[in-house]
Amino acid sequence: MSSSRDDFGIAFRSALLQRGAAQKFSLVFLIVIASIIFFLDVYGFGFMKPVRSIINDGIYRVSLVASSPSRFVPKATGRITDLFNIKSENEKLKQALEVYRQKELSVEYLTNQNKNLRKILESDETLFKENFVLSKVLIDKSSPYLKSIIINRGSKSGILKGMPVMDKDYLVGRVVETNYLSSRVLLLNDLNSRIPVTFGKDGVQAILKGSGGSKPVLEYLPEGYVVEEGIDVFTSGKDGIFLPGSPIGKTAEEGEVVLFSESSQLSFVKVDLSKQRKEVF
Amino acid sequence: MLSSKITRKIINLGPLILLYYLSVSEIDSHFENYFEILSFNIQLIIIYFWVSKRPEALGSGHIFFAGLINDVVMGFPLGISSLSYLVVSLVATYVKNMTVNTRITTDWFTFFIAIFFSNLIFFILLINFSEIEVSAVEVSYNTFFTLLFFPFFWFLFTYYNSIITTGKNA
Repeated sequence: MSSSRDDFGIAFRSALLQRGAAQKFSLVFLIVIASIIFFLDVYGFGFMKPVRSIINDGIYRVSLVASSPSRFVPKATGRITDLFNIKSENEKLKQALEVYRQKELSVEYLTNQNKNLRKILESDETLFKENFVLSKVLIDKSSPYLKSIIINRGSKSGILKGMPVMDKDYLVGRVVETNYLSSRVLLLNDLNSRIPVTFGKDGVQAILKGSGGSKPVLEYLPEGYVVEEGIDVFTSGKDGIFLPGSPIGKTAEEGEVVLFSESSQLSFVKVDLSKQRKEVF
Repeated sequence: MLSSKITRKIINLGPLILLYYLSVSEIDSHFENYFEILSFNIQLIIIYFWVSKRPEALGSGHIFFAGLINDVVMGFPLGISSLSYLVVSLVATYVKNMTVNTRITTDWFTFFIAIFFSNLIFFILLINFSEIEVSAVEVSYNTFFTLLFFPFFWFLFTYYNSIITTGKNA
């Protein structure tokens, strides 16, 4: 019995401390170093932010280069398929364009009417001043735990933590980490994402919480409220960060929301600089 | 002669290159578009297999750096993946010290112990010390599928290992 305990002790000590022929460091040394780095990073010591920022910018660039072969194959096959689909799509688009031309006229009328009504309400006109930074998605590595993307704009372009990020006119997430040349965007379906939203004719207020899956969920609804399917969900702007009225998605069953923007298909996104002047979160 | 030496060197470095490439590139093993809960961690399999079968192919320092790179790409606090990888490496070294000859079943079982502790440390550190929220269920699914796919990679790497051995004996 005692000899087996001795064996365990010897093997464990050996595993921790021994350095093989190709090993320059013992495991215990590296475990201690990793723990120190972890706690320095988590507790946000002043010098860690610039260090991390430099490391991030460097590794994101390397990652972009390393990922280029894996991007090429799906892109090439996708383009061939696109060629086959393009003709029929063109016909459909022509028809759709006609419909939108008609709608554009009514939208223009409604926009003017809306502006006039806002003037009457003495609302904040600055809301309509758009100030976007167009960014390329560098990395969209899908993680089982975190849903985020890396974009090629950082604090150099005026991006701050907390800023909303859009795909066309649809909200896709917010900036959670800024480096000098790059930023990380937390997507709406991430478990850590919380966005104040409004929907329906009555302007019901709720919080859109990421589920970790593909569909975020509506929470903090009025008591007894049953969510109907197919209703458009918009940002409410109650947090003072997001512009009110940015479309997000459509309600589905059990309070889930199907997002308008497919997070795995993002190539370019816009960061909205118009409202935020200082970092939040 | 020279080219065959270089080829052999590259073949020997295969596991290390694969580990770094998987950590730094966009290639992921999360197939949410096909099956929402399907995700597994190939890096843990690579580390466990090569540390227990051919430790000279995968130095601890490289495992540590691959973990740091993975943290940056994934957006985790620096050092957490390194710790997780080093725990797997520790168990693999321990098993290697304790056993003479292993079969796939024993490797499979000991790999379960390795990833259990590795993911437990990962989860505990993330939940208690960082602001990032992760789901225990997601971590469990990841652990389960990593364990499930282990035999496939075991056979694949055993074959690759035999190529390295043949090259060295030639």
